[in-house]
Amino acid sequence: MSEAMKEVKKGAPKRGVSVYSYSQLLGYCMTLEDCFKDIYDTGATCFELLTSHVENYPNPSPAWVDKYWRLCEKYKLQPAEMGHWAETHLHRGPRLTDDEILEQLIRDFKLANLLGFTTLRTKITCINEFCDPEPGWEKYIERALPYAEKYNVRMCTEVHRPTTLTMRVIDEYLEFIERTGTKYFGFNIDFGTFQNKPIPNLPDGKFAERDRRYIEEGYYSKPEDILRVLPYTYACHAKFNYMDENFEEQTIPYKEVLDIMINNGWSGFLLSEYEGPKRDDFSYLSDQLRRQHIMLNRILGY
Amino acid sequence: MVEKEVIQLRGFHNTYDENGNPDGFEFCVRTRYYKGLWLSQFRVGDVVVDGEVFPKNTVIWNFYGIDYTPEEMYDRMDIYWQVNDIATVKIKKKGGLAQGYHDVEVNFGWVCNYNSEPEKEYDGSGLGNAVGMFGGTHKRRMLLVR
Repeated sequence: MSEAMKEVKKGAPKRGVSVYSYSQLLGYCMTLEDCFKDIYDTGATCFELLTSHVENYPNPSPAWVDKYWRLCEKYKLQPAEMGHWAETHLHRGPRLTDDEILEQLIRDFKLANLLGFTTLRTKITCINEFCDPEPGWEKYIERALPYAEKYNVRMCTEVHRPTTLTMRVIDEYLEFIERTGTKYFGFNIDFGTFQNKPIPNLPDGKFAERDRRYIEEGYYSKPEDILRVLPYTYACHAKFNYMDENFEEQTIPYKEVLDIMINNGWSGFLLSEYEGPKRDDFSYLSDQLRRQHIMLNRILGY
Repeated sequence: MVEKEVIQLRGFHNTYDENGNPDGFEFCVRTRYYKGLWLSQFRVGDVVVDGEVFPKNTVIWNFYGIDYTPEEMYDRMDIYWQVNDIATVKIKKKGGLAQGYHDVEVNFGWVCNYNSEPEKEYDGSGLGNAVGMFGGTHKRRMLLVR
């Protein structure tokens, strides 16, 4: 080990949950407080909210904002990331102008700031299954950087299965970050990109077929691939598909990835995102989340 | 409350003109998608009841108390259909529907900004690029009283 390596202080990722995990239940049979109460049980200290979870988005009432902060305090949860969308096709004809896109981004930055979020999962419009961004993205994102700084939010583009960390699109984002030197644009790495085993017990159908195909065709990242993006990664979606009764995730090499991240000083937000079967069954979902947080607790030591 | 289904039982009834005669019917839907939509992202198709087709351009969609034609929705990038909120689908039909069970079908979809080209239609349905993943045709057998 080189001298430089020895100096890297171990990271301390913040263990959290994305409210997305409850999205088939929230608003139907669960309230936001129901979600927070369940998250508290996992020992998580932070959470992700999507803009759609904000009542009357993009203009929540002061009463809702007050209630939201009371819930954060009651369940000791820190706002981590707000998932939002850089929509570019909201009217007929060509895509929105950069001015129009910028206006929406600033609106969401203000909202995130109001709700205490310092990180954003900014979904840049994609043009294919591998999430290659629609050309021209860097123009409006670059113009948004000073506003992101003003409102203290880091826009994170999500690297999501079947995109892998070695694809050309990652180079494109890295070139942008290096050219601008910004600290307000980076990555959210979805752990699904490391999925190297098919989801067990998936009902036959197009989802199961696609799940297997991505693995057969090699569309997954190796744990060490994360190193190239790690300095610019502010949050991760701790995607999981099946936690077994021994508290091990059966499709994603969690320990290998997390060990690399921790040993290289990563201390960002690690946000659970359950995307396996039976997401509409609260008791199953909550059990899976609890199992995952036992795993994370054992790996992280807290 | 909302039901788990796309087409909601609550809100299904005939509509009446100023003389009290049935002049159509209405019912409510939600998307079951995990996020809300700007109205301009929303795409609608025909409504079919007991095999009778009501073409999309004759169907009115009501969001938050305001009626929209499909054409009008295209330009409303300022109205956000909140996740889990319902929209009311209004159809004109002289005499309304008879009391009893009806097979109700509604077609809709939306444009979403990931995993495909935003404006590309894969199936020619006119229901947006999300139809492949979330389906565009929803059916339910529903009981009408009034």
